[in-house]
Amino acid sequence: MVKKITIDPITRLEGHGKIEIFLNEKGNVDKAFFQVPELRGFEKFSEGRMAEEMPRITPKICGVCPTAHHMASGKALDDLYKVDPPPAAKKIRELINSSFMAEDHTLHFFFLGGPDFIVGPQAPAKERNILGVIQKVGLDAGKKVINIRKRLRDIITKQGGKVIHPVCNLPGGISKGVTKEDREEYIQTGKDAVEFAKFSLKAFEDIVLKNNEYVDVIVGDIYKHKTYYMGLVDKDNKVNFYDGDIRVVDPEGKEFAKFKPSEYLNHIEEHVEQWSYVKFPYLKDVGWKGFVDGRDSGVYRVAPLARLNVADGMATPLAQAEYEKLFDTLGGKPAHNTLAYHWARLVELLYATERLLELAQDEEILEPNVRNIPTAVPEEGIGVVEAPRGTLYHHYKTDENGIITGVNLIVATVNNSAAMCMSIEKAARGLIKGGKVSDGLLNMVEMAFRAYDPCLACATHSLPGNMPLEIKICNLDGKLIKTLRR
Amino acid sequence: MKTLVLGIGNPILSDDGVGIKVVEGIEDRMQKIIDSGSFGCLSDMDVRQICIGGLSLLNEISGYNRLILIDSIKTGKGKPGDVYKLAINDLGSTLHLTSSHGMGFATVIELGRRLGCKIPETIEIFAVEVEDNTTFCEECTEKVKARIPMIVDEIMGMVEWM
Repeated sequence: MVKKITIDPITRLEGHGKIEIFLNEKGNVDKAFFQVPELRGFEKFSEGRMAEEMPRITPKICGVCPTAHHMASGKALDDLYKVDPPPAAKKIRELINSSFMAEDHTLHFFFLGGPDFIVGPQAPAKERNILGVIQKVGLDAGKKVINIRKRLRDIITKQGGKVIHPVCNLPGGISKGVTKEDREEYIQTGKDAVEFAKFSLKAFEDIVLKNNEYVDVIVGDIYKHKTYYMGLVDKDNKVNFYDGDIRVVDPEGKEFAKFKPSEYLNHIEEHVEQWSYVKFPYLKDVGWKGFVDGRDSGVYRVAPLARLNVADGMATPLAQAEYEKLFDTLGGKPAHNTLAYHWARLVELLYATERLLELAQDEEILEPNVRNIPTAVPEEGIGVVEAPRGTLYHHYKTDENGIITGVNLIVATVNNSAAMCMSIEKAARGLIKGGKVSDGLLNMVEMAFRAYDPCLACATHSLPGNMPLEIKICNLDGKLIKTLRR
Repeated sequence: MKTLVLGIGNPILSDDGVGIKVVEGIEDRMQKIIDSGSFGCLSDMDVRQICIGGLSLLNEISGYNRLILIDSIKTGKGKPGDVYKLAINDLGSTLHLTSSHGMGFATVIELGRRLGCKIPETIEIFAVEVEDNTTFCEECTEKVKARIPMIVDEIMGMVEWM
């Protein structure tokens, strides 16, 4: 029954990370398409199920952001049943979400996006991986990363009730409070996590900011787009991952819109392209003008740098100082440099750890009342949180028995899908001239989309577990002239 | 020898969940054997399922001597339900980190070794060729489903009882 074969990663390419670049008659880039696989039938899968199942089902859509889906789904159920969770429940949810943001941002900086900077943008591709990072920062730093992630995940597991995919959120609250004993552990984890975040920012400063060559790449025009930005803010317009209003700023940094999660359909529309399964959300009041930036284009961006751009600051002191430093260095707000997403991610890591510590030290999380029982007849509910990769929208409709009749999700990465195409196209323009393709194309294109930390078909886990990338370059007639693969 | 039988996959994405289904089959079979009184218990073996890949696997597999892993695969060259028995070296050049998230399994193993984690000395991988891993569904497709009992048989034959 068993055959033995050697697996070539390219064999898993179908639909994965496929980039097509079309050249014009002069051999320069006309347009670039970035395609990802379609996951089909989620709406149909959900219809007919009880709404309470959604916080347990939706985390499985994505192997990367299960906690964020669980949070958005829990909030959508609160809204569906018109029930406000007790203060302790909200704080415990935010504590779990802060732990998740911190561990996810850590993973991205050191192991996933980090290779571009820690190892170096010009380093050979075979060294720009996690093992190259360990080589550069040392084994002890590697162990530190693994250890703090494990402890942050322990908080999610203990409070969430299950490893990886939390099951704690219920309409009106959560299933489990915090014990005194666990709280002591969370406080210690919070303190150590703050120190770890400071260590990470110091590493970024030493390795990246003190290297003029790296800084030139970050601020260079090839990785710059003047777009609108979107993110959740609290009542003081500070960054908030769990709750608040959605704020949009224009390419000059002025507030363009501020709205409640329940109003999102008044502000966001989705553009469809024949060549892509992924939709391209844009600002309804500006309109879809194609894959272009500027004030007249409705393309907006989300995730770390966008969140910092839309906010007036950070709600915690250490993160606020780092926020100011970032914008001082990049020449003020808003910062349009795509590669600065990596830096913004670390500022958010510090905020997430400070917030985690604040919440763990808050006596109120020990309150036993963690749920208000819903009594309203359900009809429609919308929940929004900030996931590591951007603003995440869950929208459910049900019959009077709470059986799902309609689902609409805007997954975090999808908000950035138009911008990702633009970034890839811009990188390609800089590296393809007169039909000649520079050898550095693959690296530069990878860096462009990796800064967004995108989820691509992340719900599938098939072996070998990595995503090969293929770039096809076609001439004016659509004839393939070159293929680059990794 | 401390053994882990680990099924990987997404239980709501058709054939992507075949690793989970195989592990459920093994658990059912083991329970029946234990209920029949033929054997007392398994010899130092854990059976688990996980719905996530990448770095998180490191925590799951650390501390075991032997790992039997069941996962889906899409080579596009085989028939749905074909089973490939692989070793780590068969996973090819996965040290290239092209994905933002999907750290290759071989990379995870190499990273664990370099960081001094106790990684299983023996790793056997059962990879099942999928037909559909992009449609949301709790069931595998028919051809893949039909092979699950045979894979369960094969793995049960590798288990030590006492």
